[in-house]
Amino acid sequence: MRGCIRTLLCGAGLSLLGGCVTATVDEQVYNAPTAGIGDDSVVILGRRHASDYETEPDFVRCVGDYIQSGDNSITVIDELEFLNAVYPWFEPRTAPLHPLDIERLLKQKPVAEKMAALRVEYMIWLDGSTERTGGSGSMTCSLGGCFGFGTWGHDANYEATIWDFTDKAEVGHVNTSASGQSYMPAVIVPIPIIAPVQGTACDGLGQQLLQFLSSEH
Amino acid sequence: MVALLGLLLACGPAQVVVQGQFPAPLIEPLPLTLGVWYGDDFAGHEFFDESKSRQESSWIVSTGAAQVQMWDTLLAGMFTRVVQLQTRPRPGQPTPGVDAVFIPHVEELQYAIPAHTNVKVYEIWMRYRFDLLNASGGAIAEWGMTSYGKTPTAFLQSDQDAVNLAAVMALRDAGANFAANFTRVPAIAQWLDEKGILPATEAP
Repeated sequence: MRGCIRTLLCGAGLSLLGGCVTATVDEQVYNAPTAGIGDDSVVILGRRHASDYETEPDFVRCVGDYIQSGDNSITVIDELEFLNAVYPWFEPRTAPLHPLDIERLLKQKPVAEKMAALRVEYMIWLDGSTERTGGSGSMTCSLGGCFGFGTWGHDANYEATIWDFTDKAEVGHVNTSASGQSYMPAVIVPIPIIAPVQGTACDGLGQQLLQFLSSEH
Repeated sequence: MVALLGLLLACGPAQVVVQGQFPAPLIEPLPLTLGVWYGDDFAGHEFFDESKSRQESSWIVSTGAAQVQMWDTLLAGMFTRVVQLQTRPRPGQPTPGVDAVFIPHVEELQYAIPAHTNVKVYEIWMRYRFDLLNASGGAIAEWGMTSYGKTPTAFLQSDQDAVNLAAVMALRDAGANFAANFTRVPAIAQWLDEKGILPATEAP
């Protein structure tokens, strides 16, 4: 299945003091569960191998919260809780890069026992970040208040890769990108009109992952 | 007066006493009793970087207490028994009741903040040197290892909080690197082989 969703949140957003955001979600799923994941768990982890960016822990948490709030029968294991439980095998240096690496990891008895106890069925790797893309304008502030106008942009690009832990195989892939422009006019008091770029990317990715994991969506 | 004091304090170096929680390793412990000795330079390890311009601030990063906390937790999970030694073992002065003595050293620490690199991550890099001695004080192995930790910028997060988090990540990385590669150090692999201890299956 391959889907593409494009959203534009601008006019309504501006009236609620939110900037403009455009988002694109691209999805490829090879083998989705037909009846949800039942009593098993899913863990969502950020990839942290790149030297110039880091997948934000709060983005990982946001996607997990989106899935859990969309279907509360799905157990999403907290990222830090999982990393601590299986330390040191999912640190940036030691984390498996391919589904087949799981086989070798599970040859260690304590790791195999822990994974069985956690009932991990799917492991979702998130890779990407939200970057600021420059700005313009100027503002001066004094005791009388602030005057001026500033604007800046944000780009969010994230990729989710879904591993089936039982079959040791990659079973899905979702990309999302969002960009938006924030504004800050100031007449005595600065009024920030922030574009929810990362939140939009989180919702886009979370929705696709929810459809993958949940039998209700 | 309070404002002046605040201004004077603001002019001082940025100081971070690294604090964090370190998990026990999920690993089959080696059936060995390990003696551990932390030298003063290690247990009180502190890094000082003097500012190079008036726009930058000096930094003091104290990692000693966090180092001891992390290594105590890691080693306790990697070996069946760990004994803290009160004096540094020397050749000709046997340490009874242990199979080996482990002595860690921090050789170097470097840090980078977004103001230095224009990249929106805070980074800590550390270089360690380790000595593993036998109970008689003779050398079993001496080897080096690096560790790296980084953390992204976050809204309302101070430079100090971010450097602390990067240091905690670097310490976690040190533990991961050590746990994953300890039995792969050639001199240690040979020593374990001579003792008839086969390391558990290695992870990726």
